[in-house]
Amino acid sequence: MFENTLIPVAYGERPDELKNIGVTLKNFGARSVCLYHVHESGSFFRASDISWLMLLQEALEEVGLSIEVKRGEGHIASSIAEAALFQGCDEIYLKAKRRWHIGQMLLGSVSQDLLRLSDVPVFVQKIRPHLPDCGDGLRHEDLIVLYATDLGAVSARPLPYIKEFHGARCHILHVRDRMADPSTERRRRDAVAEKLHSVEEELTPYFGQVTSEQRIGDPATQMLHVSDWLKADVVVLGRKKQTSFSAPMGDTAERVVNESKASIFLVP
Amino acid sequence: MIRDFLKNERVFFLSFAIILLFIIFGYIRPDLLEVVSSSVHSAILDYFSWLYLLSASFFLIFSLYLALSEYGTIKLGRDAERPQYSFFGWVAMLFAAGMGIGLLFWGVSEPLVHFLQPPPFLGAASSEAASFGMLYSFFHWGIHPWAIYTIVSLSIAYFSFRRGMPALISSCLYPILGERIYGLAGNVVDVLAVFATIFGTATSLGFGAIQIHAGFTYLYGVSSAVSITIGIIVIATALFMASAILGVEKGVQTLSKINLTLAVSLLIFILALGETSHILDIFTSTLGGYVNNIIDLSFQSYPFAANGWSRDWTIFYWAWWISWSPFVGLFIAKISRGRTIREFVLTVLTVPTLFTFFWFSVFGGSALSLEQSQGVDLGVVAGEDVSLVLFAFLENFPFSSLLSLIAILLLLIFFVTSADSATLVLGSLTSGGSPFVPTYKKAIWGLSLSGVAIILLVSGGLHSLQMMAITAAFPFMIVMILLCYTLYIGLSQEKAGK
Repeated sequence: MFENTLIPVAYGERPDELKNIGVTLKNFGARSVCLYHVHESGSFFRASDISWLMLLQEALEEVGLSIEVKRGEGHIASSIAEAALFQGCDEIYLKAKRRWHIGQMLLGSVSQDLLRLSDVPVFVQKIRPHLPDCGDGLRHEDLIVLYATDLGAVSARPLPYIKEFHGARCHILHVRDRMADPSTERRRRDAVAEKLHSVEEELTPYFGQVTSEQRIGDPATQMLHVSDWLKADVVVLGRKKQTSFSAPMGDTAERVVNESKASIFLVP
Repeated sequence: MIRDFLKNERVFFLSFAIILLFIIFGYIRPDLLEVVSSSVHSAILDYFSWLYLLSASFFLIFSLYLALSEYGTIKLGRDAERPQYSFFGWVAMLFAAGMGIGLLFWGVSEPLVHFLQPPPFLGAASSEAASFGMLYSFFHWGIHPWAIYTIVSLSIAYFSFRRGMPALISSCLYPILGERIYGLAGNVVDVLAVFATIFGTATSLGFGAIQIHAGFTYLYGVSSAVSITIGIIVIATALFMASAILGVEKGVQTLSKINLTLAVSLLIFILALGETSHILDIFTSTLGGYVNNIIDLSFQSYPFAANGWSRDWTIFYWAWWISWSPFVGLFIAKISRGRTIREFVLTVLTVPTLFTFFWFSVFGGSALSLEQSQGVDLGVVAGEDVSLVLFAFLENFPFSSLLSLIAILLLLIFFVTSADSATLVLGSLTSGGSPFVPTYKKAIWGLSLSGVAIILLVSGGLHSLQMMAITAAFPFMIVMILLCYTLYIGLSQEKAGK
């Protein structure tokens, strides 16, 4: 499922850091990587100078991945999203930049646009999981996944991808409103528990431990809370269509993507 | 066992303790009570009078939205349920709930007071002040008060008849509080409802007693000492408590019907013997002005010209209606089972409002016309004592003594029926929503209502009554905003479920 990954790169990317990422991606089943660079027309760097790209390619090849270097032009996020689709990539890998002054990792506007526009899943690397520098990369067995689902069609889409993580633990979280009266609330709780149990059963063969819970409250707040409590490495969620008053990728996804310390795997 | 009893009766003990403290405090130090309530009242008005305006308008917009949206077809009861009362019976009971002591007290005096003491930007006793007086009387007694009642009654009716929960304000907050409605959070909400009901009703009872006293003073020259007013409250208390404790429900219903008949007869009499066509002109043109200006009126506090005027009148009224809303809301909910939200909202917002408009046109319009064109100086009476105006007004009609006696009788019956119903509502609110209220609770709440009314009269009279209504309403206004949210959650879940 994660065989072919597209990594958008820009001038200044460090080969050793990219190599670390490559090792982890390989551990997770990647065979090939497409390094993609979008040249901005007003850029200080000459378009013809691609020596830095070659260095990145060599670093990843050392890991044993098949590397393809591609370049594009135009609106950066659209160009990356289009390339990922045409290259038949399984995911796009992004690294969030740490903003020390506010103690969080925020996404730039390009990343935000990409999350909104991409037709392939996007993995946003944040503080967790920490990628080891030793060269072995992160292993499946260490991974704790938080799967946030509203039990609707949108959040069923990530299921095949979640199975590919093969982690230590998968925690399935459903956040909802409280029903208007105690007896409807009881019925709703039972119905949700039943659905969560069936998702739990579906994921059990792929993880060391699968747990589930339902909570009442604001979905983004609860997801962030549970993710921190669980020390989750990845939060998996589906992307909703934008409605008139919501944020571009849905209010919940927008907040979780911005505020989570765990990495995000957003499935369109 | 005692522990369980105390736990079950937490709302009762908590609210009774607060009210008792208030009564003791007011008895020992009425001067200090006046100072404290003035400070709280001023702080609320200084910082939150805008919130009263916005909330009342929001309640109206929200009620109309519910009526006209897809939620309008949802029934206040099970889908197959039929309304308990016929449409006309239901409307008559709505009148009875909405028409109280206040209409008699303010029906003549409010337009007249606005006419004689308008905001500074209008000349006193001018024709503009007369139009302004009628317009604001319509506004203060119009669609907004009924929207305030609608929110509470709709919430109680929806959560108790359709969702099967106890008829308590705390039940309506289940979508937010969950199981905590049975704990301290829910208890606090119910205590706030009790608190608002006690002070809102005590304010009306105080007005009623003042006016009955004024009637006796005007007609028979009875002393105007406050002890007489207290005596009237004591007698009326004995009457309504006997009625509440003996459970003479049929007697109260009969009294209500007699009252409605008397009130309508009085209205028709004044209309027929007064300047009928002029009154109808006033009704029509003020109604037009009201419809035309409702948006401006709803949000207007005259911050650069007459901020104090708006606080003294509009904010007081909004607070008073809010403090009455748990009581009236519960009553209206009870009689509206089986109606759709659309039918409920549109009827509650329009029918009693139109009747009230007509009442003000007949009484207030006639008073203005006597003052303006016939040289009757009701203004002097109003300047002396606003509660005397009704009787000075009736003096200008044939059989004036009889009319004044009828007015006093009306006030007394309103006093008894309102206080009787309020006692039962307070009992129910402090008995987990049960309609079967133990006698000792009826006695305690009846005495508390009168006790609070007496303490407020002694500590500061009319002004003190108004201040406490505003103060008691403030926390309940916040509860009402939450009620809108939970009602919306409940209704939207129901539509989503279908």
